[in-house]
Amino acid sequence: MIICSVYYIILQLFKNKQERTGHLRINNRVISYLACKKAINNNKRMKVGLFIPCYINQLYPQVGIATLELLEKLGVDVYYPKNQTCCGQPLGNSGYEEDSKGACRLFVENFKSYDYIVGPSGSCIYHVKKHFDILEQTQDVINVRNNAYELCEFIVKILGRTDLGASFPHKVGLHKSCHGLRGLKLGSCSEVMGDHYSTEEDLLNNVKGLELMSLNRKDECCGFGGTFSVFEEAISTKMGKDRINDHIDSNVEVITGADHSCLMHLEGLINRNKQPLKVMHIAEILNSQTQV
Amino acid sequence: MNGTKKEIKMGREAILQSIKKNKPEALPMPIIDESAFYEDIDLLNAFKSNIALVGGTIKEIDVAQIDNELKTIYPKANHIVSATSKSTLGTIPFSKETDPHLFKDIDLAIVEGEIGVSENGAVWVSNTNSLVRALPFITNDLVIILNKSKICIHMLHAYDLIKDRDRDFGVFISGPSKTADIEQCLVVGAHGAMSLTVLLI
Amino acid sequence: MNHAKKAEIFNKDEAKVNWHDKALWYVREKRDNSAHKVQGWEYLRELGSAIKANVLSNLDEYLIQFETNAQKNGIKVHWASNAEEHNNIINSILEKHNAKKVVKSKSMLTEECHLNPFLEKKGIEVIDTDLGERIVQLAKEPPSHIVLPAIHKKKEEVDVLFQEHLGTKPSQGNPEYLVSEARKHLRNKFLNADVAITGVNFAPADTGGVVVCTNEGNADMGVHLAKVHIACMGIEKIIPKEKHLGVFLRLLARSATGQPITTYSSHFNKPDEGKEMHIVIVDNGRTEQLGREDFRASLHCIRCGACMNTCPIYRRSGGHSYDYAIPGPIGSILSPGKDLKKHSSLPFASTLCGSCSNVCPVKINIHEQLYKWRQVIVKEQKQPIVKKSVLKIAGVVLSKPKLYGFAGKSARFVLKHAPRFMIYNKLNAWGKARDLPEVKNENFDEWYKKRNKNG
Repeated sequence: MIICSVYYIILQLFKNKQERTGHLRINNRVISYLACKKAINNNKRMKVGLFIPCYINQLYPQVGIATLELLEKLGVDVYYPKNQTCCGQPLGNSGYEEDSKGACRLFVENFKSYDYIVGPSGSCIYHVKKHFDILEQTQDVINVRNNAYELCEFIVKILGRTDLGASFPHKVGLHKSCHGLRGLKLGSCSEVMGDHYSTEEDLLNNVKGLELMSLNRKDECCGFGGTFSVFEEAISTKMGKDRINDHIDSNVEVITGADHSCLMHLEGLINRNKQPLKVMHIAEILNSQTQV
Repeated sequence: MNGTKKEIKMGREAILQSIKKNKPEALPMPIIDESAFYEDIDLLNAFKSNIALVGGTIKEIDVAQIDNELKTIYPKANHIVSATSKSTLGTIPFSKETDPHLFKDIDLAIVEGEIGVSENGAVWVSNTNSLVRALPFITNDLVIILNKSKICIHMLHAYDLIKDRDRDFGVFISGPSKTADIEQCLVVGAHGAMSLTVLLI
Repeated sequence: MNHAKKAEIFNKDEAKVNWHDKALWYVREKRDNSAHKVQGWEYLRELGSAIKANVLSNLDEYLIQFETNAQKNGIKVHWASNAEEHNNIINSILEKHNAKKVVKSKSMLTEECHLNPFLEKKGIEVIDTDLGERIVQLAKEPPSHIVLPAIHKKKEEVDVLFQEHLGTKPSQGNPEYLVSEARKHLRNKFLNADVAITGVNFAPADTGGVVVCTNEGNADMGVHLAKVHIACMGIEKIIPKEKHLGVFLRLLARSATGQPITTYSSHFNKPDEGKEMHIVIVDNGRTEQLGREDFRASLHCIRCGACMNTCPIYRRSGGHSYDYAIPGPIGSILSPGKDLKKHSSLPFASTLCGSCSNVCPVKINIHEQLYKWRQVIVKEQKQPIVKKSVLKIAGVVLSKPKLYGFAGKSARFVLKHAPRFMIYNKLNAWGKARDLPEVKNENFDEWYKKRNKNG
């Protein structure tokens, strides 16, 4: 999801560089040359395909590592298809769904042979499930859409585990990402009438020493929203600031969540404003063995 | 004038044609399962607490005591319009032909309500009850007399009860007029009645 | 000016943004509490949605049925294809009665049709009688919210406005005093009005009457005192049966303000003796929207404003940033159908968080429609060249693993080694208030490759 903001910046930098030096050329010839080799993972023994979203792969490898270690700890055979890039969400959310089809098809190719596809990012998984309707609905596409799971949901729903033996003696604030919450329905939303439930809370409440702090606004959006964070910069940062203040007012030490794109946005603000908060993906906490 | 008429007709045909062209395939009318809304509650108590919630006052009273009670609640009321035989406090004679502008300074209007709705404290008042449509709105204070056997649970039930009425004018009134248009501060008493008292008999 | 730019200006006064956000969040919380008290709330929403879907699929027949029943009761029915026809019809009724003074209760439709300036040009006094609407009318501003038109105004601003226009005494924004003065001022207008114009909340086809909901009693004060009542409604206000009000009136006020019902839910079925009642049925782009399969459900809207109150962007950008009669999430899916070019920034004024769809009492999939409008806009509207080329290139890069690997590596290299001024400059909106992530020495791919080698 970050790709649209960080790539935006990065590619702009490329663009500037290219204009100045003429070194970097992303033209069709190069692209087709690079596309010659298409590697498809077809190993029949594979069970769970690990999906590491592009921005986690590039910027937050520790989240990917924690996810992999956690799944392995839980006795799952995890395979990491090496040609994965991105689910296409940043393009779709920006209105460039048509241009994302290549990325979507690649995703299906990469993951079609797994029983489950698990990734540590609710919004990416939601995109696969919800918006891969733009592809022709072959059996592979249908399977991939049905079998894609956000990490917490996979652990609780498919593995049936909530106590993972983790310990993390800190005051934690849970940021419920909108796509996880309202899209994947990982938990009940404050605006929907019905019983309370939360997949992430079920997991965090079983972490030794962890104190889950209650927030004033339990599930308000953080304002990341992909390219929204860049094109609606003023509102985006205001929303983020307000979320952070809610956590600070609730005596939170560590903000966590199941979607690192929200967390990246919040972390960017926290670091800029030098606020006394740490940001960690939920996989890092669940994989944590800090002594109580 | 003819030109205008023709134009209006064109508007009608154009709209209906456009709808025919653009509407989706027929979708069924849902069947309302009222059991989904069932609650085992005390209708009268719920009604009372909802009247209070919407800013009204409510009192259970014997019919014979209505006048005395109203004199106590509204000791300063001089210009009183009573549209019910259950009170004799009316000081301004009127009929359904009365120009409502003449009511601009009345202190108190007394009307009967037909049904009460427990979920929201609303009372149905029709022009059969008020004779002059403007009466319940233009008055400074409003009293509605309601038979406590006429309280129903929710709006679906309420519409069931009024379905055979003579359709002229009718209104669900829930509390006194109010506004929160200045900084979300609730102020009771906007353009309609400044206060509402429901007398349950 | 697009939404982002206007929102940025609104955000220059952070204290006011906080205040605006809190005021509306409070309404959202009241809505939650109120809905919690209703047994079967979510089912009620489903019913509301299904009834509206049925309406749209039979709309022509329901409208004819409505017209027949209304006429039977002595109501005059008019049809207007667009705003111009709507305004002309109203003007011709006013001319017929030689009416010079009009009181109007809240109607987003007349706002949409710009009726007030049209009539004012003809020398007619049009007074908005809903307090919030009167406030913005005096301030010469459009409403910033469909239920709370003056929610952007502080009470001190109202105080000054009233001193200037109504001759009130300074009161430091005392709401009780200001409301009582407004009551006096508007009562005078009601008593002297020739014609009352109202909107319509619901129009049951089986009775041919209209239902108008207010808290202030302004619609009734206007209608019952004037000789002529003109009710203006969009074609989508039709509901099949009066009994369906039992569903919609349970949803409307709770969603709007958290009240269990509005103070007055008035049922106008017949003109009063010796008076006239007119209904103007308006299309103005609605049938076109009906033909857009992906966006049709936007016509379910019952104008409660719940999507605005819950929207974290609306709460922090103010209604005027949307520059459309109906702001907020619902306005952002209605307006592109009216003028795609003018309103093309609105579907992007959202994080697609989905809260709007969850609060909507008639279950409009607002955030999904926002997503879909984005696709339409990119296809049909010229896009900023930088944004377009970046996203197009990203599309290619993301479909080619090797190119992606290279781009990722280079990007991390740039982020890590480029001097700060190259990264944090005005081209980089991200970096204005936020730091970029610290770049690690290796990405996950590289770590994984290494681990497998070692293992």
